[in-house]
Amino acid sequence: MHYSILLFFLIVAVISISVFVYVFLTSKQSDNNTTGMANPLQKRFWFILILLVILGIFASVTIPKSPYYLFADEQPKAVVHVAAMQFNFFMSDSAIDPKMPKGEDSITFNTNELVEFRVTSLDVNHGFAIYNASNKLIAQTQAMPGYVNRLRFKFKEPGTYHIFCLEYCGMAHQLMRTTFTVK
Amino acid sequence: MTSRLKKITSLWITTVLLLFVISIILGITMRFNQAEVIRLSPITFYTDMTVHGLTMIGIWFVAGMAAVNFIMERYVKTSKFVNILALVLTVVGVLMFWASTFIGKFHAGWTFLYPLPFKVMWSAWATPLFLYSLAVLAVGWLIWCISLIAAMLKKYSITQVFAWQYFKKGPKEETPPFILISMITLVGIVTCLITAIVLVVLLFAEYYSKGTFVNDALLMKNLTYFFGHAIANEMLYLGLAVIYEMFAEISGRPKWKTTWYVSLAWNCTLFFILTAFFHHLYMDFVQPEGLQILGQLASYLASLPAAGVTVFSIVVAVYRTKINWTLANLLFFIGVMGWVVGGLGAVIDATISNNFVLHNTLWVPAHFHTYNAMGNVLFSLGFFYWFSVNFSNSRHSEKLSALKLFLLIVGGIGFLAAFYIGGADSIPRRYSNYPAEFVHAKTLALIGGVFASIYLIGILIFFVNITRRCVKILFSQSA
Amino acid sequence: MCKDFILSICIIVCSQSLVYCQSSAGWKEEVNVYNKIYDAPITMVSGKKTSINTLAETKPLIIALVFTRCYGICTPLLLQLKESLPYKHDERKYEVLVVSFDSRDKLKDMQRLRNQLQLNANSNWKFAITDSISRLVASVGFNPVWHEKIKQFEHDALLVGVNSQGYISKKLIGLRSENDLSMMISSINNIFTPTYRLPGKSAMLSCFNYNPVTGKNTPGIGLLLIALPAILSMLVLIVINKLVHRKEEI
Repeated sequence: MHYSILLFFLIVAVISISVFVYVFLTSKQSDNNTTGMANPLQKRFWFILILLVILGIFASVTIPKSPYYLFADEQPKAVVHVAAMQFNFFMSDSAIDPKMPKGEDSITFNTNELVEFRVTSLDVNHGFAIYNASNKLIAQTQAMPGYVNRLRFKFKEPGTYHIFCLEYCGMAHQLMRTTFTVK
Repeated sequence: MTSRLKKITSLWITTVLLLFVISIILGITMRFNQAEVIRLSPITFYTDMTVHGLTMIGIWFVAGMAAVNFIMERYVKTSKFVNILALVLTVVGVLMFWASTFIGKFHAGWTFLYPLPFKVMWSAWATPLFLYSLAVLAVGWLIWCISLIAAMLKKYSITQVFAWQYFKKGPKEETPPFILISMITLVGIVTCLITAIVLVVLLFAEYYSKGTFVNDALLMKNLTYFFGHAIANEMLYLGLAVIYEMFAEISGRPKWKTTWYVSLAWNCTLFFILTAFFHHLYMDFVQPEGLQILGQLASYLASLPAAGVTVFSIVVAVYRTKINWTLANLLFFIGVMGWVVGGLGAVIDATISNNFVLHNTLWVPAHFHTYNAMGNVLFSLGFFYWFSVNFSNSRHSEKLSALKLFLLIVGGIGFLAAFYIGGADSIPRRYSNYPAEFVHAKTLALIGGVFASIYLIGILIFFVNITRRCVKILFSQSA
Repeated sequence: MCKDFILSICIIVCSQSLVYCQSSAGWKEEVNVYNKIYDAPITMVSGKKTSINTLAETKPLIIALVFTRCYGICTPLLLQLKESLPYKHDERKYEVLVVSFDSRDKLKDMQRLRNQLQLNANSNWKFAITDSISRLVASVGFNPVWHEKIKQFEHDALLVGVNSQGYISKKLIGLRSENDLSMMISSINNIFTPTYRLPGKSAMLSCFNYNPVTGKNTPGIGLLLIALPAILSMLVLIVINKLVHRKEEI
């Protein structure tokens, strides 16, 4: 997923840059007798139309894949309450008291079971980003004070997963992390 | 063209370039700290980050404004007093902001996302000083924008200034594209500055009520990104207004004219810019789904007028056309290219399902540095170069041009590549030091820092040449 | 611009005077959510014996835990529920079960309560007692405290939503808005809402109020604040235009 996004970006970027370079070179080779682009209005129309169609296809393919619709029809097998707080994550099977936040030492899920994270924050905005065993970001939501965001996910591979804070939250932001295990 | 306006503009240019060099150095320092070549305390790092972000946003906004103000004098009479006032308030605002950060150690980031500014991890006075500095900047810039809008409305009617007459057959009056784009952009800026003021007022209300009034985190985040997204985009459009006016002129080609599709495109832009900001809140599931999808669609649609009209117009203007290439219009041309590439990165990230794995990774700084460092900065540099050469009566040599461009392009590409690869590698943004899990992070930071230094050398040559000529304009006796 | 300031300040002053306080212990609503409720055997007012899960299987439940000798919140809670429910909600989607957590309450006490509330004819409301009070209240995270002096329990006004699989899908503490009740009814019918807000004093400036019945968000005061700058800048434009041209006429 991640590198394919990068590859896709590189391809379209190189195509765009090539067009610019080509256009620049045609200008360099021109003299007073060359006559620019023929019928530019028509070409512009086609360009916009093609772009619109491409973007339309992209939108209709990607929007249904948005995380808000992930596993909405299923009942979760495990529910984990997450309270983020400068500079810690508390994760627990039971609700977390903001006055005495306590988490469990270790959290374990089974592979392919539906897990629901109920994420909130006890102070500032934080990020709740799940990284898989090879340290790739696979899912995330924000932890916002006063709100609970529900992130549903199924972990396909066993291993140790890391959680990092991805919303800047102050001087120890880079140290804010925790882990859970999938077996 | 009065000599006073030239002097004020030279002053703006010198100020912007000086602050730019300082901010780049802060940026490079951050990359080298992440690479562990140097060691800063996290507080110093995040203070640098806050200064780097807000100063960059501020200077490239005023750079665009100063250029637009200068060119607008060709069409309407602008107020020199307000121009000076804006300069003074900008300098005062920046100094207050630097005091709150460098001395007070305020480090909530340039987005100062509520309620972070109130979780004081710095001198207690730094939070109010920071908020006051924002207020000073917002008020100064708002006065400037309103004065320019008023200047245009004195000459052009509302219909004319938005070029609506082109939607009818056989329009009688003409609207120069420069006027249309400036108007659309300035209205957008006024909206985003009012948002900034509402935001600051809400923050002050909570600050001075000592806890009896509490803000809503979701509302504050919406307001923050409405403001942040709009100002970061509008400053680019200021640069485009300059290109619409200057590209043909510098190239020795007939002036661009407004047509119905130019008018339509820019009027649409005003709408998209105000709705696309929702893409900053994709990962806040609390935001209604409808707005999330509107965010993706608006972000996609915003690219149509940009690519189909502005970029296409540049291509048409250059393709198989003999052009008098100078450093100024080359910078414009390369800037548009950088803007397009950055825009591609932005559209990818504005797709909700991609944002799920890219949000707040290095992909984000990657794309916005592309259209800023390789886009907007080049637009403004092109103008600065043209201005300083044109009005200082100096015999300019184009000897260093190739070297300068080479340094900017090579430095820029290397520096940005490190960001993009980092983004695809899921490395988080805004980390002072990287956890051991991110194995490539330090190497990438080092590569980024080295290439950014190459970019800096290019900028320094520009800085020396342009500033020298601007100082000459500043102290010249006659116009 | 002065106007913007004044307007913003007005809005803040207004909202400040309206700030409504609610239980700050929003987290308590999270306690035991998604746990299975204890399948307590219950005896209904009709004398019929059944259990909570058996009832929930036929229709998802909204359970109100009360005691009939309460001088405090119990009756207002039930009255409010009775008033709020019939207007917007489809009775096929829920059933209300009023269970006593006071061992002194007998069937005739519950019968009297039902009479007081004039709910005799309403088959969608069930009144019951149970022998396993302690296990039931523990399974929903409800902690009434007995005060011997005043012979009263100190307790929260609690509604527990139970879906047909017997899981606690949502809890509401305190007298709550119809929207919150709607969200509870959709949760016991397993309709997923990706987020919700916790009760707190910042609710006044919220941007949206989610209504699960229609599945729509209605704009809140906060949204007005987001739209305000765009409206204001249009006004600014019109005002400048007027001012500029008036000068010319003079």
